[in-house]
Amino acid sequence: MQQFLNVTLTGLAQGAVYSAIALALVLIWRSTRIVNFAQGAMAMFTTYIALSLIEAGQSYWVGLLVALVSGLVLGALVERVVVRPVEGGPELNAVIVTLGLFVGFQALAAILFGSTFVSFPAPFDLRGFTVGGVNIAFTPNSIFVIAAVVVVMLALVALFRFTNLGLQMRASAFSQEVSRLLGVRVGAMLTLGWALAAVVGSLAGVLIAGGNLVSPNYMDAVVVFGFVAAVLGGLESPGGAVVGGLTIGLLLSYVSGYLGSELVALAALVILVAVLLVRPQGLFSHAAARRV
Amino acid sequence: MISRTARLAAAAVAASLALAACGAGGRPAEEDGGGATGGEAATASDVGITETTVKVGGHFPLTGVAAPGYADIPTGAKAYFDYVNANGGVNGRQIEYVYKDDAYNPTQTSQITNELVLQDQIFAMLGGLGTPTHSAVVDFLNSEGVPDLFVSSGSLLWDQPRENPNTFGWQPDYEVEGKILAQYLAQNFPQAKVGLFVQDDDFGRDGEKGARQYLESQIVTVQRYTPGNTDIAPQIAALQAAGADLVVGFAVPSYTALSQLNALRLNYKPQWAYSNVGADLTLVGSLLARFSEGAITDAGLLEGVISTSYLPNVTQKDNAWVQLFQKVWDEHGGEGELNNFRIYGMSQAYTFVSALQAAGPNPTREGIVKAVESGGKTFEGPWLAPFRFSADKHGGIAGVAVNKITGGTVTPLTDVLVTDNGSAPITPVGTPPSTPTANGIPDVQPVETG
Repeated sequence: MQQFLNVTLTGLAQGAVYSAIALALVLIWRSTRIVNFAQGAMAMFTTYIALSLIEAGQSYWVGLLVALVSGLVLGALVERVVVRPVEGGPELNAVIVTLGLFVGFQALAAILFGSTFVSFPAPFDLRGFTVGGVNIAFTPNSIFVIAAVVVVMLALVALFRFTNLGLQMRASAFSQEVSRLLGVRVGAMLTLGWALAAVVGSLAGVLIAGGNLVSPNYMDAVVVFGFVAAVLGGLESPGGAVVGGLTIGLLLSYVSGYLGSELVALAALVILVAVLLVRPQGLFSHAAARRV
Repeated sequence: MISRTARLAAAAVAASLALAACGAGGRPAEEDGGGATGGEAATASDVGITETTVKVGGHFPLTGVAAPGYADIPTGAKAYFDYVNANGGVNGRQIEYVYKDDAYNPTQTSQITNELVLQDQIFAMLGGLGTPTHSAVVDFLNSEGVPDLFVSSGSLLWDQPRENPNTFGWQPDYEVEGKILAQYLAQNFPQAKVGLFVQDDDFGRDGEKGARQYLESQIVTVQRYTPGNTDIAPQIAALQAAGADLVVGFAVPSYTALSQLNALRLNYKPQWAYSNVGADLTLVGSLLARFSEGAITDAGLLEGVISTSYLPNVTQKDNAWVQLFQKVWDEHGGEGELNNFRIYGMSQAYTFVSALQAAGPNPTREGIVKAVESGGKTFEGPWLAPFRFSADKHGGIAGVAVNKITGGTVTPLTDVLVTDNGSAPITPVGTPPSTPTANGIPDVQPVETG
């Protein structure tokens, strides 16, 4: 029972981070129909920027803030400089470009920050709570992780639902030409979409790094699982991304805890294939309805 | 006009002459290796050997996941070779040490080993690091007849003289280490419920095999982690749920740090025991240091951890070997401080110099293999227990001492104990620790290899 509880709780905290990455993927997919394979590498890069600041004596929060801001800038830059020129061509081009960015960022990080494991501090205590004499794998830090993801998701929902800017972003994602005719600056909206996605990705990067070890490829697995979560949620829906992320986090934690850690990657693949076979539009997608 | 065939024939004749010359140069060294150290002139007795140089190669992870710590090993070996070279080399030959990065990726290991053997023309491979990586090149090295000396891994694979006559282990293999560690734990924690936390590969399996010989009845769970998957929370939760109050880990340093970190999350405080591989105080301490916000201070998390050692520890400042290596590092080292990984590299280099001396004034590839087989047992150096080398045994150091991490250094809990694979008994080593020679360079007489 205690193990079930602990495996569940660690799965939830892990799932929150997959949710954040899935959110970032969904944001870009919604606005530009591109799966950004460089999402994890970009997040890794901004996490290293935060780490450099923390190592230089700044507080964790300064590091986090700078990571988010540099994510914003990096996302916008990548969209403007690298992705924009290949947009409008065959869809595959943009995807291949993001793959290239993925490799490029990892190599650059290895050169700038070194390729070995280093530890990343956590803002809160890493010791688990004890409830009635039972230790549970839930720490003040995991509460922070989950809370941060929830806040970001609510903020995104608010942005898309209740603001004019969000409406313009949704419109330009839905139909670029009509939006343009209605006076929406579609180009700016796309850039903003990428920038926001990179902020969410940066947050995920810093969150998962907290109280853990980082290296230039520490986000690889996270971004793969985040992708599975996004597909599970339907690639369209931010809510779906969050539910998908938590589901993947829990399932993989159970697989690792009860079946063996060597099966984790395989389990993610099985889930991905199963989702694509049974419900290719994902659990929460409205895409089918829209096509009619 | 010379025909194509004639040119080919000429080339063939030239090549066979060259081969004959090599052979002729090699033979006297083997035949009179015994006594004629003084008079014999240095010749280019084999591939990679000239009158003034010996070229050795190595493959190490200088980048990537396995690089922390391990990347320091070749820098230690290099510093020691530079020290030997500055003192006149071995039999007048300077040692040229070429090591390359394989990023702990077997495909790259194959590629750079090809380069080392075919292009750089090394005389011998020294201390190639890693079980998966070195496994990829063992067959190649043996089929090329390259001495594959002192692999940096405790796998049992290197001790197969029939299949791999040129390959020799160096550090105590994981089974021997597991046996000695487990016997100590079984004797001192007879009531403990034991959990094993092992890497899911040869390293973990060999260690588990040794540990089971003494702890079988006490083991309540075995948790395996897959290298590369850094989320080991479920494994640690399972150890805790099984009620293990003594956890024996066969894990690499990053995973030692991760296991400590995850245990912290669960308020899980068993007695920890780690294999030597994953218990480097400095490295694991530095990985954990930044989590000290809160209650952990520096390597405080490792306080009280039981481990083993087979070389002097860098924190033992009054040890004569550590003093020698400190001097070597100060004079010939590069950036950074002397650490246990550099001591490991220097000790391997020390072993190689011993082997080269044993192979006589004009060593050959075959000669050095024979010399290690017949003389290796008697090599004296920083290692706490002797090597097990013989014609039908290529296993490395015979044993370890069990120790405990306290106050930032290691304190011995047992004498140096030695054993062998399988059901061989565990006995005290019985010989006093060796001390360095006056100039810090081995003084091994050429071995009669017949």
